[in-house]
Amino acid sequence: MARFHPLQVTEVRRETRDAVVVTLQPREDDRSTFRFTQGQYLTFRRMFDGEELRRSYSICAGLDEGVLRVGIKRVDGGCFSTWANEALQPGDTLEAMPPTGAFFTPLEPAVAKHYLAFAGGSGITPVLSVIKTTLSREPRSQFTLVYGNRHVCSIMFREELDDLKNLYLGRLSVLHILESEAQDIDLFTGRIDVEKCEALFRGWIDVKSVDTAFICGPEPMMLAVAAALRKHGLRDEQIKFELFASSQPGRARRKVVSESADRHATCEAIVTLDGTARSFTFPKAGQSLLEAALENRMDAPFACKAGVCSTCRARVIEGEVEMETNHALEDYEVRQGYVLTCQSYPLSDRIVVSYDQ
Amino acid sequence: MPDETSDTPETMPIEDYLAQGGMLTSPDNVPPRYRGELLRLMASFVDSELAGSAGFADVINEAPGIKERIAAARIVLEKADHAGRVLEIMGSFGADTARYAVHHPWSARLPRDADIAAERRGGDMRLSVLHYPLEGWIDAVAMNALMGRAVVIQLGELARVSYQPLAEVFRAILPREAHHAGLGLEGLKRIAGTEEGRRAAREAIAYWRPRVASSFGLAGSARYEKLARLGLRHTPNEALLAEWQAAVDAELAALTLN
Repeated sequence: MARFHPLQVTEVRRETRDAVVVTLQPREDDRSTFRFTQGQYLTFRRMFDGEELRRSYSICAGLDEGVLRVGIKRVDGGCFSTWANEALQPGDTLEAMPPTGAFFTPLEPAVAKHYLAFAGGSGITPVLSVIKTTLSREPRSQFTLVYGNRHVCSIMFREELDDLKNLYLGRLSVLHILESEAQDIDLFTGRIDVEKCEALFRGWIDVKSVDTAFICGPEPMMLAVAAALRKHGLRDEQIKFELFASSQPGRARRKVVSESADRHATCEAIVTLDGTARSFTFPKAGQSLLEAALENRMDAPFACKAGVCSTCRARVIEGEVEMETNHALEDYEVRQGYVLTCQSYPLSDRIVVSYDQ
Repeated sequence: MPDETSDTPETMPIEDYLAQGGMLTSPDNVPPRYRGELLRLMASFVDSELAGSAGFADVINEAPGIKERIAAARIVLEKADHAGRVLEIMGSFGADTARYAVHHPWSARLPRDADIAAERRGGDMRLSVLHYPLEGWIDAVAMNALMGRAVVIQLGELARVSYQPLAEVFRAILPREAHHAGLGLEGLKRIAGTEEGRRAAREAIAYWRPRVASSFGLAGSARYEKLARLGLRHTPNEALLAEWQAAVDAELAALTLN
């Protein structure tokens, strides 16, 4: 199971009015844990008002830069991103899980490929990592980037992209599409949609020469670009997607169980596992029976935690629980008292459950 | 990369995005219902591969020659490997992969004449056909030839799922599963070389064919509609079944086993 490790913040650089680039340093022992592949992301956790929030941000550094760096754009009402943009400072410590994600293709130094990327707003973050790494590790490959933003001033990594163009002369071309600003060429004004792609593919980008396409941005942009690319002959396996959630979902809170069923807000549970019974008390709302058992250091079996794989099946011998979802147990099993503990919330004040039956 | 946003404020509900063919890319950006269906789909695949591999393990010792022994061993090895690759993705959703891999007796089988139709049984999600025991080499080869072709067709469908990391694994697995089906057909060809072999093969095919057919699920399935809306299915059960029937008809006719 992935674990969180501390990362020290060594630099917080303001990239645009509402985005920062944060450089992070793992502990000596964690260096190999945080070795990443281009295009991957880190998941952070932090307590806000007593509640843990987890947020993921893409790494913007290339493999050969020797640093761990993420871009964090402030989202309206976004707790974590606002905090990172306003309060995060060098010397602070962030907790993160090891890098993960599959927004990359294998690097092959000998090949001469043409990569095409579409980025919308902060969707540039993983794309930048991919561009820098590919240009550095595949000396004969070239990259075309179509990058959509609203204004010039909101373009993240604008200078860095210019520097890369100069460093890798002729191998990187960047087409900026700006929504709210008129440009010399009409084509470069507006949104990245199907029509824009069609127009770009007519004169500016030779899709036939493209080996792999990367797309990272909001959902409508991803759909439009993917549709246009497929129409021009790209196969599914040639298109790499990275979607970011458009919303910042808060922690899901369970509704309080109705009053009629229970007298107490907590439930006393007696749970048998591997022949040993243990008793503990846990709240009726907000925590499943499985979670409560795990929290009480019981080595309860589980796999999907989604009510799907039935690994966490147990039998209710006394009392009543309610399953939130059930995709695994047949009706006859439910009638026999079997439940998926990862989906079970107690209704009665006392339950007796066995994992052994 | 779940929590970044663009300058383009225009977004859309994730359900619409999926219905229009959008791809999801990490456990962080899948909605709860999708997560459930995706995990179920993966559990079904993992369990079927593990059960298939376990069932074939016993067959290795029934192989009539070195070549056949290697073919059977390869199927056992690679199906376990394919299960492992998908289980790894289940692990990224929080599954305890080590425990999952051993949480069920994968070699367990029901009686040969059990009538379970397409029902799922016990604590695992294997396809119903994998609950039936193999009886000897010819039976195993016939089952593998028929089921192998079904797996290739079902994997072709699954390679289009809207969860990109899983689609990529299925695409990587597909050629090797196609090879397993090829090994089955090759074995069947050798068996069909004698009159006695043909008779035994026909008998085995008569037993397995309806059972493999039921692994395609019901026609007009409501589940299919639900999964299609999530981009987890694209071709209805009955169309995949028809494709399999046609492929099997042609393969068996070529061996005069129809």
